[in-house]
Amino acid sequence: MTDVQMPDSEPQPAPPAAPPLSALHHLKEIASVIEAGSLSKEVRRISRAVRLTVALRRRLAARDVSAFLAFALPPSSEAYSRLTSLVPKEDETEMDVDAAAPATQISIKHGLPEIEIYCSLLVLIFLIDQKKYDDAKACANASIARLKNLNRRTVDVLASRLYFYYSYVHELTNSLAEIRGNLLALHRMATLHRDELGQFCRYLFYLGKIRTIQLEYTDAKESLLQAARKAPISARGFRIQCNKWAIIVRLLLGEIPERTVFMQKGMKEALTPYFELTNAVRIGDLELFRAVADKFASTFSADRTRNLIVRLRHNVIRTGLRNISISYSRISLADIAKKLRLDSENPVADAESIVAKAIRDGAIDATIDHANGWMVSKETGDVYSTNEPQIAFNSRIAFCLNMHNEAVKAMRFPPNSHKEKESAEKRRERLQQEEELAKHMAEEDEDDF
Amino acid sequence: MDPKLVEVTQLFSRFKAAFARNDFDTCVGLLSQLKVLLTKFPSLPPLFQQTPNAVEELKIARDIYEHAVVLSVKIEDQDAFERDFCQLKPYYMDTCGVIPPSPEEYPILGLNLLRLLVQNRIAEFHTELELLPVTALENPCIKHAVELEQSFMEGAYNRVLSARQAVPHETYVYFMDLLAKTVRDELAGCSEKGYDYMSIAEAKQVLMFSSDQELHQYITEEHPEWEIKDGCVFFQKAKETQPCKEIPSLQVINQTLSYARELERIV
Repeated sequence: MTDVQMPDSEPQPAPPAAPPLSALHHLKEIASVIEAGSLSKEVRRISRAVRLTVALRRRLAARDVSAFLAFALPPSSEAYSRLTSLVPKEDETEMDVDAAAPATQISIKHGLPEIEIYCSLLVLIFLIDQKKYDDAKACANASIARLKNLNRRTVDVLASRLYFYYSYVHELTNSLAEIRGNLLALHRMATLHRDELGQFCRYLFYLGKIRTIQLEYTDAKESLLQAARKAPISARGFRIQCNKWAIIVRLLLGEIPERTVFMQKGMKEALTPYFELTNAVRIGDLELFRAVADKFASTFSADRTRNLIVRLRHNVIRTGLRNISISYSRISLADIAKKLRLDSENPVADAESIVAKAIRDGAIDATIDHANGWMVSKETGDVYSTNEPQIAFNSRIAFCLNMHNEAVKAMRFPPNSHKEKESAEKRRERLQQEEELAKHMAEEDEDDF
Repeated sequence: MDPKLVEVTQLFSRFKAAFARNDFDTCVGLLSQLKVLLTKFPSLPPLFQQTPNAVEELKIARDIYEHAVVLSVKIEDQDAFERDFCQLKPYYMDTCGVIPPSPEEYPILGLNLLRLLVQNRIAEFHTELELLPVTALENPCIKHAVELEQSFMEGAYNRVLSARQAVPHETYVYFMDLLAKTVRDELAGCSEKGYDYMSIAEAKQVLMFSSDQELHQYITEEHPEWEIKDGCVFFQKAKETQPCKEIPSLQVINQTLSYARELERIV
């Protein structure tokens, strides 16, 4: 199964016009963010650092990376020599000039594991962007070996990105099979540590896909809709994929997705094929359905939804049949075959068995008169004389209540923010008192002389 | 050449000879010997060690399992089919870089799809299908199975039956015959719901029986609740759904209590 790439960036060399210092400068700032995150054990700062790096990605040049490595890692360390050997040497002189003229003084503590792992990640991303896949693989393998000896929650965020690029570079070189065992072992560890690493969304998406393939549509729909809802706004490609699958699953369930689903911001164009498909299913027109499936065949193949669309044919027939059974109280099987546009050698016999199966599955309420070759629809009963409305009402109430409970669970409160502020004030007071006391004592010392 | 490989090759040629003269008892005996011998090759799944003879060993092992699958169809043993196919599958999925693809690959994959269809394991059917590359769907053997499933789901049963005449491979006939039986059961189930009654002649035609006697026998064995009188088969109509007159009080009470509990939590 291929991974869904979040927005991919085109590797480009840094434009020469850009001030050479700024990328390096940004990197240094990121390093200080990581340092702060590491010291205060705040995972969120580290995630921020990763986001900043991705934004910087297009502007990275070899000299920035080398300079940053020299800045961030102790020159005698193993990591420094390993990583610098991977970064191509170029513009040696210019680099020296940059290093000699630091615009701002940012200094960080050496030897933090977060910084070391961050450097590996940076080099890995850089090598992937430069299409140096073999070097990237070597870098990823070494970093992952190093990660095995680290057990810090603040490293996990960086590690998750590392694993992502690790599998991405192998995917690019078509060698995913080689690392499958390794990834599974990593996953086992992650599960034992209960690390979430923000992969939950992806998990839901794949779970939804698998369930769809295995015909568990109701569960699949739930997973896919949740994945689409939970995905970050910036992951547009991922959300589009989720929506495409969710649309198909809903169609397979016999639902018709609302128009607003297709009109979501930034997705309208990507969802057009699925919109036309929905239309064909809604009308129950087999001919139109076939035309749409042909017209967008390449899109559906690329989305790997073609097999599912083949399954939809059955739903189209069902919808058409339901429309017929509602409109006519009695209709000949030959007319049904004509209306459904069944093209086979023996359309009447096909129509008869299709109708029989639809009756058995409860899709339509009718009987067949074999001798006369027609279908007789039964009077549709009053829905409100059954338990149906109550069941529907109950499921909606349950959904709303569940939504409320989930929302309460998902809310985040800063830990003891109220108390902390107080203690900060108190500390200032205490410091002041201590200072006064010290001054006092010093004065007393002087007095002693 | 490696003596173990020589032994397997010799035994396998004896197996093939017995296979060619349809001596299936000998085949089964030889096959278990061969399987035991194969366990001594470390280059085979799941170890995949890079030994000097790896290519030869993988090739002959794949060939043996392919024959095993076909043999299981000939002796009509579905459990053996499943076992042998599971052992064969890694050779198709995980060794593509090491040995060239087998010409038997698609016929056997198609056969497996057909088996899953016959055993009504539709979820697994689709899982297997999803693992195949897009180009594989164009292959007549795979296409055959896919179209069968589609007709089966739609209810176009006569299309399923006519597909028996157009099997892409001789081994498919066994499963197609089994499928015909499944189709008859489906048709019986659909007829029961779809028709009030049917003349015996029509029932015979719909359920594909050549004589009245076979029909009678089928009805007494499978559907004793059907009634035969005045030259017609009457299907039981007891399944009529009456509009619900009774209030499901216990359920309503339970639901209302749970709403009260949840609301309490919110306010």
